[in-house]
Amino acid sequence: MAGGPRRLVMSQLPAHITPPSPKRPAPAERAPVYAMVGNPNCGKTTLFNALTGLRQKVGNYPGVTVEKKVGIAYSQHGRPLQVIDLPGAYSLAARSPDEAVLRDVLLGRREDTPQPDRIICVVDASNLERNLYLVHQILDLGRPVIVALNMMDVAAKAGVKVDATELERVLGVPVIPCEAVHGKGLMELRLAMSRVELPLAKHSWDVPAPIAPAVAELQASLVQNDGRNLLIARAEALLLLTDFDTVRVAGSKQLSDRTHVILAQWRERWTAEQTDWSAVLIRSRYDAIQALCKNVILRGRDSKPSVSDRIDAVLCHSVWGWFVFFALMGAMFFSIFSLAEYPMSWIDGQVASLADWVKASMGEGDLRDLITDGVIAGVGGVVIFLPQILILFFFVGLLESTGYMARAAFLMDRPMSKVGLNGRSFIPLLSGYACAIPAIMATRTIENHRDRLVTILVTPLMSCSARLPVYLLMIAMVLPGEVVPPLQKAGLMLLMYALGTGGAFFFAWIFKRTLAKGGSPHMIMELPAYQRPHFFEILRHMVERGWLFLKNAGTIILAISMVLWALTTYPKHENPDATSTEQIAQSYAGRAGHAIEPLIKPLGFDWRVGIGLITSFAAREVFVSSMGVIFGVEEIDEEDTTPLREKMSQAQWPDGAPIFTPLVCLTLMIYYVFAMQCMATLAVVKRETNSWRWPLFQTAYMTGTAWIVCFIVYQSGKLLGF
Amino acid sequence: MSATPFQELSPLCQLPAGSTGRVCRLTGDDGFCQRVREMGFGEAALITKISGSVTSLCLVNGTRLALNHHAAMNILVERLPASAR
Repeated sequence: MAGGPRRLVMSQLPAHITPPSPKRPAPAERAPVYAMVGNPNCGKTTLFNALTGLRQKVGNYPGVTVEKKVGIAYSQHGRPLQVIDLPGAYSLAARSPDEAVLRDVLLGRREDTPQPDRIICVVDASNLERNLYLVHQILDLGRPVIVALNMMDVAAKAGVKVDATELERVLGVPVIPCEAVHGKGLMELRLAMSRVELPLAKHSWDVPAPIAPAVAELQASLVQNDGRNLLIARAEALLLLTDFDTVRVAGSKQLSDRTHVILAQWRERWTAEQTDWSAVLIRSRYDAIQALCKNVILRGRDSKPSVSDRIDAVLCHSVWGWFVFFALMGAMFFSIFSLAEYPMSWIDGQVASLADWVKASMGEGDLRDLITDGVIAGVGGVVIFLPQILILFFFVGLLESTGYMARAAFLMDRPMSKVGLNGRSFIPLLSGYACAIPAIMATRTIENHRDRLVTILVTPLMSCSARLPVYLLMIAMVLPGEVVPPLQKAGLMLLMYALGTGGAFFFAWIFKRTLAKGGSPHMIMELPAYQRPHFFEILRHMVERGWLFLKNAGTIILAISMVLWALTTYPKHENPDATSTEQIAQSYAGRAGHAIEPLIKPLGFDWRVGIGLITSFAAREVFVSSMGVIFGVEEIDEEDTTPLREKMSQAQWPDGAPIFTPLVCLTLMIYYVFAMQCMATLAVVKRETNSWRWPLFQTAYMTGTAWIVCFIVYQSGKLLGF
Repeated sequence: MSATPFQELSPLCQLPAGSTGRVCRLTGDDGFCQRVREMGFGEAALITKISGSVTSLCLVNGTRLALNHHAAMNILVERLPASAR
């Protein structure tokens, strides 16, 4: 027939043929949900950030302090694809809450997170066999998998050549070579993610024969009694049978009683036979992986020392390593406390200007005072620390990005082990010098829950930057005058830092032998290769963490500031012309100060100091402004506290003896070293430990210690004639 | 491969820097042993000690690992001749 094919119209259909129904639009299909998994240090988060950009939401998995990161990537057709960045892990056998969440999400055990439809396994091409262990377990799940063969540049530098095409052929799943840090391979990965159908793996690994009956029985129970699908049930059966010490977390669905019974019976049998099936299974997987990689890894690693090896020879050296460590930490702290000064002064000025504007714009009254002295002062009190927090996170991000932070934890492991902790506790403790809140949040990286708890309990003893205004005021009172050498003042400041650090280590030692006894003393940590810092990632991390700090601390401190404002304002003095000093004495806070005076008098403190101690619960540095209000000093300059110092040095007891003697000032500094006074920290501790027990215990032991130490210092000082 | 006599084995922390050993036995709790095997340096793996006697820095299949004293004490290795690396 000439021309193109002839199109039939409905009226031309023969009579015996039923015309088709009019087409209806297909229901919109849900875009597949991807989970991104991989070993620690494989570049997973870099790849996740590259795919999702700023379209991310960070939260927590309900009931457990593990971060949940969900982002949106776009397919080649512009369709949004949800991507869940799961915690890094070496295996589905969970040893920490992070790994437990990974396992539970992939097995569909969590009510709050649907089981992902597809999985992106990010592997480090320079360490393929080890990374394929987790992939091998994930292929058991029978879900569509895409392997992102990342860090191809690192592999090439190490002399490792990986044949991605051959790997794709043997695994039977798409394998996409990429370098997430340079943005290479992202297009190909998006194309793979956009495919409507993804092939399932050619996964033909068999469990060792003696374990097969156990797997079959458990698999059947998981299908019948726990509602698992067949493949997931098999993978879960393997995990349950061989993972003896697994971590379970809140939010994870419980297994049925029947499954528990079967599991217990098989474990009992193997324990009696003294068969270590876990070891046999792991060996079997690695043998299968080695067979897979035979024609995939084409050239092995160069034997000559790499750049990282040469750098480690210095940075991990038992002598030179410490020099570099202290130099870096010194530079970091100098930067935190010097560079932050300018933005902090600017913020302080802006907050004061805002308060002045409100005062000028609104009529006198309680509402205006609430806004200026409660809301603005409260929020300002948090925001002013943001520069220090950001600089701290910048340095932490820089050290992590380059790979040095793992070396620092390695160096610190030895002194930390003396008190029962390991090197991973070093980063939270270090961060505590800026602020305890992000420091406590950083303890999530500590696998062992006992070590984590102890680190959380002692971190607030590290002298945070909020204590600095108190130290500066008291040091100026102890060592007044410009003729006193700065070295003496610095020495006194360092003494306070040393006391706090010493206290943290002392209590860590005690807690590891008492309430947090036991736990695995082992530390195994991978030291990633050194690499150039990725400043964009560091900045993103800084902004993310800074925002979390503002949100967490800001909301709590704002609420507390408003409450404390009310306590220092009401009830009103009968005389409307009363001074602010008279008003605060009359208020609930003043009455509380009088009420606690018998308790604090043995430390040399009077009711006015008592008010300062109470108001410090909003934030420690509020002590200085509280003293200003109590002693009638209108404008407080934390750098030049001369007017306040002069007023405070004139304060007397009823018998005429001065209150703020050098001994009392020293005692007050020591009180601030040890006492728990930050409500925002307590709120974060409560959230991170899922209980009020630990923040209350922390308040009791820290404040109790502060009282005892100050009592000893003050009374001994008095006996010695100071 | 015949089992190496126990007395010829030494903990990883005692392996001299620069020498290579073959992992022969893992002691310690089940969780530790399982984690070591999953990370690829279980029995029969070759480990090269880079430095350290309290905290050990080692190389396994090109991966740099830091192990504290407790971990290194629980990995028993057979020292191999220099040509084995």
